[in-house]
Amino acid sequence: MDVVKYAFFSYGLTAVISLLVMGVIVVISKALSNTEEQKEM
Amino acid sequence: MLETVIQLFPGIGSLFVQDTTIAFARVFLILFGFALAYFGFTRTLEPLIMVPMGIGMIAINSGVLFLQAGNIGTIFLDPLVEQPDVLVNIMQVNFLQPIYNFMFSNGLIACLVFFGIGSMSEIGFILARPWSCMTVAIFAEMGTFVTLVIGAKMGLPIGEAAAVATIGGADGPMVLFTSLMLAPKLFVPISIIAYLYLSLTYAGYPYIIRLLVPQKYRAMDVEVEIPQVSKKAKFIFTISICALLCLLLPVAAPLIMSFFLGVAIKEAEINPYQELLENTLLYASTLFLGLLLGTLCEAQTLLNPKVAILLVLGITALAISAVGGLLGGWLVYFVTKNYNPVLGIAGVSCVPTTAKLAQYAVEEENPFAMVLPLAMGANICGVIVSAIATGVFVSTLFLVK
Repeated sequence: MDVVKYAFFSYGLTAVISLLVMGVIVVISKALSNTEEQKEM
Repeated sequence: MLETVIQLFPGIGSLFVQDTTIAFARVFLILFGFALAYFGFTRTLEPLIMVPMGIGMIAINSGVLFLQAGNIGTIFLDPLVEQPDVLVNIMQVNFLQPIYNFMFSNGLIACLVFFGIGSMSEIGFILARPWSCMTVAIFAEMGTFVTLVIGAKMGLPIGEAAAVATIGGADGPMVLFTSLMLAPKLFVPISIIAYLYLSLTYAGYPYIIRLLVPQKYRAMDVEVEIPQVSKKAKFIFTISICALLCLLLPVAAPLIMSFFLGVAIKEAEINPYQELLENTLLYASTLFLGLLLGTLCEAQTLLNPKVAILLVLGITALAISAVGGLLGGWLVYFVTKNYNPVLGIAGVSCVPTTAKLAQYAVEEENPFAMVLPLAMGANICGVIVSAIATGVFVSTLFLVK
């Protein structure tokens, strides 16, 4: 792979993993918030 | 007579027996160290790093003496020693050598700084606008990837180009860590240049903000509601993210673990540990980091022909990342209409400097605007994205022919 293609590939991979991590953060925080709300009710 | 004076005052005398270029470089670095320490004192540059770094730079270039066998050197440290027996001997003499070998050159100091940064980070800020924070952080990593291409085109081997490109992530410990792994021969100048430029962001980024965001937009306040998330929830997702990132990027696992351990200690309210990390450990590590960086600025080490290329690439990376971050800020603004584009600068992960810069830039135009929580959220996302970019580089760089 030449360096320009690699730069696009690695930037894309970084973006995908970052968004995946954010997805996990959002899902876990929502799941935990819902559990806590149910407990309060 | 002259010989006696040279022997009596080796710091001055060595200037006359050394190569002229090195002698001039020493004088220049003494003056440069003075300027760094002074600008740290006036708060133009980041004082926590610049004052010890400047003084270290002055001392290493002034305190030169004649050693055994007619060699010229110092009794601070020698970063170029590799043979174990020489290293053991030199540790008995050079007072900073043990700290350099046991803390700096293995990346431990970077991890200690990350413990402290983690313990100061409020992960809940990310949850206020999670996708906006992550979007600007991804855009603010642009400098890293553009500089990789420029570095390779300028003739650097791909490992060295990648190491210097990580300056675009604006994360000192991460640069230190990456250059140790990808460009061990250049890690001293790359780390020095990175920290030098990171301090310059303090002075240079406000101009880029003013250039790319008109006054009307800079003054925008952002309506934001920070969700009330329990400590338990934050603790669980802190350790979950730590596990996920370590699974995905084992090469960056020491840094990732250090950062999230700091966050977890904060969320678990283990106060004695938090105080230790946030105050003692962070500041002690920063002090030694600054001092070591200064004492590594020896004329001979920096007179590497590649340093000029590194200087150009370092500033290019940081400038492109700032522009990228602000572009990300504009994108989020156009999509949501409730976002100050200035917040994009906080995606550059220089914690907490860029977050504070965003708040100052907004506050200058609108004293009642409070964007700091969102800026800190983007800042923490910036750290996460930088760690991911580092891991991606180290794991996949073999793909480049």
